[in-house]
Amino acid sequence: MTTRTERVAGKRQPIWPKVPADFVRAVLKGHSALGLAFAAAIYLVCLSGSIAVFAREFQRWEHPAAPRIEAAAPGAVQTAFTGAMAQAGNGVEHAYVTLPSPELPWLLITTEGKAGEHAWIADGQGRIAESGASPWTEFVTHLHINLHLPQTWGMFLVGLTGVALLSSLISGLLAHPRVFRDAFHLRLGGSRRLQEADLHNRLGVWALPFHVIVSLTGALLGLTTLIVGVLGLAVFQGDVNKVYALFLPPLPKDDPRPAPLPDLAAMLRQAAVRSPGATPAYILMQHPAEYGQATQVGLRQPNRLAGTDALTFDREGKLFHASYARDNNLGKDILGSIGSLHFGWFGGGVVRVVYGLLGLGLTYLAASGVTIWLARRRDKGRPAPGWERVWTSVVWGQPLAFAVAALGVVIAGAGAPLSLPLSLWGGATLLALAVSGFVEAKALSRACRAIGGATLVLVALGHVALRGGLAGDPVAVIVNVVLLLLGAGLVASALRGRMVRSAA
Amino acid sequence: MAESLTWLAAIPILIGAAAGGWALRRAWRLRIEERLPWMLGGWAILIATLLWPAWVLGAARGPFIAVALIPAGVLAVVTSGATVKAARADGNGRNNDQSLAPEPLERPSTAWRTILRWLLAGPIGMIAAMAVGVCYAVWVPGEPQTRLLISGLMVPVLWGGAMAWTLADSRILRATAMLAGVTLICFTAAILRGFA
Repeated sequence: MTTRTERVAGKRQPIWPKVPADFVRAVLKGHSALGLAFAAAIYLVCLSGSIAVFAREFQRWEHPAAPRIEAAAPGAVQTAFTGAMAQAGNGVEHAYVTLPSPELPWLLITTEGKAGEHAWIADGQGRIAESGASPWTEFVTHLHINLHLPQTWGMFLVGLTGVALLSSLISGLLAHPRVFRDAFHLRLGGSRRLQEADLHNRLGVWALPFHVIVSLTGALLGLTTLIVGVLGLAVFQGDVNKVYALFLPPLPKDDPRPAPLPDLAAMLRQAAVRSPGATPAYILMQHPAEYGQATQVGLRQPNRLAGTDALTFDREGKLFHASYARDNNLGKDILGSIGSLHFGWFGGGVVRVVYGLLGLGLTYLAASGVTIWLARRRDKGRPAPGWERVWTSVVWGQPLAFAVAALGVVIAGAGAPLSLPLSLWGGATLLALAVSGFVEAKALSRACRAIGGATLVLVALGHVALRGGLAGDPVAVIVNVVLLLLGAGLVASALRGRMVRSAA
Repeated sequence: MAESLTWLAAIPILIGAAAGGWALRRAWRLRIEERLPWMLGGWAILIATLLWPAWVLGAARGPFIAVALIPAGVLAVVTSGATVKAARADGNGRNNDQSLAPEPLERPSTAWRTILRWLLAGPIGMIAAMAVGVCYAVWVPGEPQTRLLISGLMVPVLWGGAMAWTLADSRILRATAMLAGVTLICFTAAILRGFA
């Protein structure tokens, strides 16, 4: 109980009832164990996610000379789709048209089938202008979504990482009874452990809503197959399709006989009448060259989080299923908003920038958790120099590995296969880990920062020299400036560390 | 149009977040008896900053834009109040600052306890969370889509909670009994009800 003397003296009292010290220490033990077990996975998923927030910007950066259009006329969409299907050849199973939006002002057609996945960018008249392959963007997004592992396992692992992150947030709050009491403490430059702990805790508390949103939505996205499977098993006697049928339009009867391509222009015109005020966002086709085809036109309603109307047409252009955002129940609204909330694609550029920064903050939380554990061991006279080197190579090796992958794509061009950035990233990651076996942690950190920073500068300069990065799309220029600044910052931090060491 | 409106709305949201954060920091620095008005004022500003975008940017979209921007505004205030200290370390790289932070519990463990603990945190915790989710989906009234989505959201939260608890609790058999019991009860209840 607070005494009068304490109140007069102005001593700070905790907001919460006194938490038993043993409970705090036990929860801290769990928090520490979980953080250590999942640290590398959380770090990698968070870092790639922070970059993937800017997937649209990187796509544009990979194609600085692509024709930019504000809107595509229905006739142009039909022309572009027909042209893309002609180039894709036979056996296309699915086709996807991305219609121009402020984030991606392109008419982009993607096909998927026996010949693999291909993409094309068309101009305002629907003429195919160039390949729409974006290996760097694809590398980053796939790394974030499934770690480039087989789809089901990779997504499960990322989902599990989301659960671990959520669990760390819960135990982190419980393990820090002073977390609100010290909510504005930020002491830099003194004790390494104190500095890292202050940053870790302040970021953890004040950005908690963001952390909860991205970890929860990420866990749900990653575990969808498992959760839907169990729900289907338990409530629909094992029929998973009944769960999906509650959310997705019915499929037309399978009929693989070759058929003329669907009339997208007519469907777009019909969709505009049925969803007034909405902006056509995408067209998704199942078996576009077969009699059993179905075409879904998605239209985005303004100022809504889950604001997509989805109209599905059969081969004759007859509407056979419609789902309007205004009629959504809570479940459909939640489903429609999960992806947007996870990637920050619901509030324009300003939200993406903030998501990128807060995502880096979350990445730092993962990194600093281990750093604090290592510093605590050192302070107690039980240093773990081997783990310090390994962790340094993980933390600072990743920016280097990402930069090397980007440089490879800049040199090879947008036609590069996905395996190029993937192998470069994998090689740089392994090299950094191997070097950690015999290079001291501080030197390793400086080397990774210096080389990674210099590589980023080369990426920006190489993009300007080889890909016309100063002409064409202004977003590509912005990306290059940011890469240049990031690279210069990393090099400067490495040099500063060296100068401080020399002065000492 | 929507993009420029969001940029325009972002400025007052960030200002509101910084103002709320500043008021809370002022409360935090004051003596206890002078604190209340600043604390209430700070939270009131933050709540208002969370709510008003609903009328301008959409009922759900507006508050979520605010949820994203408010941490940025408050963290700017936290950073502006950072204190810089001189680095201190002895020749061995050890730090001489005394920390009052609690240390993790040192508890003796055996291989089977460690294995059981991670089984509880991993697959057993997942099954228990699934059981609660399924039970919710079949018992709680409402649209089937809503019931399924809410139960789907519950699973990661419950699994994460179970993970945090089982890794912390020293009485591992208690955690085992609790998770097994929850699983049994919830799956039985779900089977009895079926899905309507």
